[in-house]
Amino acid sequence: MLVVEKNGYQKQVMTLYRFISDHLYFNRPDIEVKGETYNSVILFSLLTGLLKGKELIIGEPGLGKTTSAEFICSLIYQFPLGVIWGSEVSGHPEQTEEKIIGRPDLGKLNRGEEDVVWTNFAQVPVKIVDEINRLPETKQSMILDGVDRGNWEYLNEMIINDEYCLFATANYQDGGTNTIIAPLIDRFDVIVESRYPGPNLSFLIGKSRRKEQVLRHPKYEKALHRILKSKVAYEKKIPKLEEVCDAFGEYVEETTGIKPLRREDRNHIRTEIESLELDLDASAFTRMVLAELSFCDRYGQKRIVENCEEGCHYTGYLCRQIKNCASNRLPTSIKLFAQGLAWLSGDSEIDIEHVKAIMPFTFSHRIQWKDEVISQKERAKRDDPFQIFLAKEAVKTVSQRYREQSDHLKDALALGSKIFQGESLEPLEGDHPIYAEIKKDLLRRRNQ
Amino acid sequence: MKNGDLKKKSFHPPVSKPNTFSNPFEEFRTFHFRKEEIPLDRIVQSAEVVMDQIRLGYEKLLEEEAKELVWMVQYNTIIKAYEVAEKYIKEIDYSAEDIEDFCFALENTQKIPYLIPGPAGIYISALCNYAKEEEIVLKLSELKTEINLIGFRLPKGKRLMVEGDTGDFTGIGLEGGEMVIEGSSKNWTGAGMRSGKILVKKNIGLHTGEWMMGGEIYVGGRVRGLGNIVEGKVFEREKLVYPGKARNPNIYY
Repeated sequence: MLVVEKNGYQKQVMTLYRFISDHLYFNRPDIEVKGETYNSVILFSLLTGLLKGKELIIGEPGLGKTTSAEFICSLIYQFPLGVIWGSEVSGHPEQTEEKIIGRPDLGKLNRGEEDVVWTNFAQVPVKIVDEINRLPETKQSMILDGVDRGNWEYLNEMIINDEYCLFATANYQDGGTNTIIAPLIDRFDVIVESRYPGPNLSFLIGKSRRKEQVLRHPKYEKALHRILKSKVAYEKKIPKLEEVCDAFGEYVEETTGIKPLRREDRNHIRTEIESLELDLDASAFTRMVLAELSFCDRYGQKRIVENCEEGCHYTGYLCRQIKNCASNRLPTSIKLFAQGLAWLSGDSEIDIEHVKAIMPFTFSHRIQWKDEVISQKERAKRDDPFQIFLAKEAVKTVSQRYREQSDHLKDALALGSKIFQGESLEPLEGDHPIYAEIKKDLLRRRNQ
Repeated sequence: MKNGDLKKKSFHPPVSKPNTFSNPFEEFRTFHFRKEEIPLDRIVQSAEVVMDQIRLGYEKLLEEEAKELVWMVQYNTIIKAYEVAEKYIKEIDYSAEDIEDFCFALENTQKIPYLIPGPAGIYISALCNYAKEEEIVLKLSELKTEINLIGFRLPKGKRLMVEGDTGDFTGIGLEGGEMVIEGSSKNWTGAGMRSGKILVKKNIGLHTGEWMMGGEIYVGGRVRGLGNIVEGKVFEREKLVYPGKARNPNIYY
């Protein structure tokens, strides 16, 4: 695999990728970026861990959704699997805030004092929610704030996770599942499907049982559990946890030859990733997609409660095919994961290929398609789950439109910049919602 | 408490300029579109010129023959539309690849305003009949709309291969050419054909070969119904069904 090395971190992460794909999570490559093929679950999960992101992994039961997240988190955050298992939250109807976030310290409560015993889930930076769609819709709201900001609150006390990533798994709809509420699903940066690896690899998985032993270490697991249970302040626990995690990382390096990421490595990587910016094509293309996912000529923007009118000029665009409006979290997710992918590819800028590769995974779970689109396309031949397939098709369509008018759009945006700075010029016209949106921004500036 | 004390303790928020918006187009500030021409650009440019001419011809055909965006299939409307298409196509220097691009552009670009299956089929047929190449491949499998009248008056010496399905009136008035349809075709296929060969790999609809005067139709799947055939042969899964005793014309199976 071709990786431009800068300081070796890309190589280190790619070594982790290969170790996972060769020894822990067997699956076929299903995504291609600039001629390089990857398995989307490993790629996006690695990026989620590195970028402090949030990932929803969907798939049939028993196809490695949870285990892939566990392995990847163990290698990126140097936590032995025993601790990760002990801090997982499983979604079921009887789940409570006390099991997810924290509970009163009963000993102190007897003495008339109020204190909180935080759960491992709330404390560790690696958060895995298994079968999130088995949580009843009313209980899903409990984890909204924690999922979004890393703030966990109980009995007027709060801990804030400086560094955390979240993985949630969901089975396809069955008798025991619920819908994931829109505000919660919107908080996930990406969605991936853990697929069936094919009978041959599946057979290999059956043969290589107990492969997780390489990431177990009962002594360090006990030490970490002891720190997590201790009654010291959360901020003071963090350095202690890291100390043990580093020792576990050294053990993994000694036994397997691969080097998990230390906290300073992760911070360094994040600084490098954050410095990458979108080039002009990537930026213009992203704006074009966002315009189509939010634009409504008649009502000002897409709203789930409003329907398209007959005879609208913009019938050929995605806005006609969808019900809801893209949220402000979408461009953040697009940029974050495109940055991560560009960094991993060793590129100095985020280009349109990076954006096109990650985009379907960032909005397929956030967009609600109209029934007529669903009925028209649900029987189309495809390899992906329906939502991801629709998102990939949408990106392909907009990409075709972008090819036709990229220069014109970049001209329009450049002209927009000049007008915004006070030059007396007229905005460029064009047949796409983005041109109408540029005009709206310029009008706002004029009315200022 | 004195006013002075109050002033000392009061909190002053950081001063920010009111009404200052950051420029949302800032990153494009220095963008100047300057196209550096490379040989490929010239090729693309010439292809675009040809495509524009083909597109214009189609628009003119719609303007003249489908004014209200309604087009009825009748003998005289087909002939007239074909004559209009011929008029524009004769002046264009195009290749078989341009026909393929036009088929793709019919549904996938905003530049072609309407896809009306009848006139589109007549126009594509005229493009095929006047193309320099003897063999033409049309990739229609990506289109959601099935195009009617493909292969109209395909002359002798031409071979038209269609990937995907075709609509009604496929290969009508065939004049000695050979058509291969990888998918299925609908009703009235081969109607009025004089000579030549139509091979449909899957199924074919009703009125197959209506008033055909000669030639052969081969069907890999099922024939739903035969029309009033004057002369010619129809084969279903390599078995001759017309002329034959087993099936009478106008009977739908």
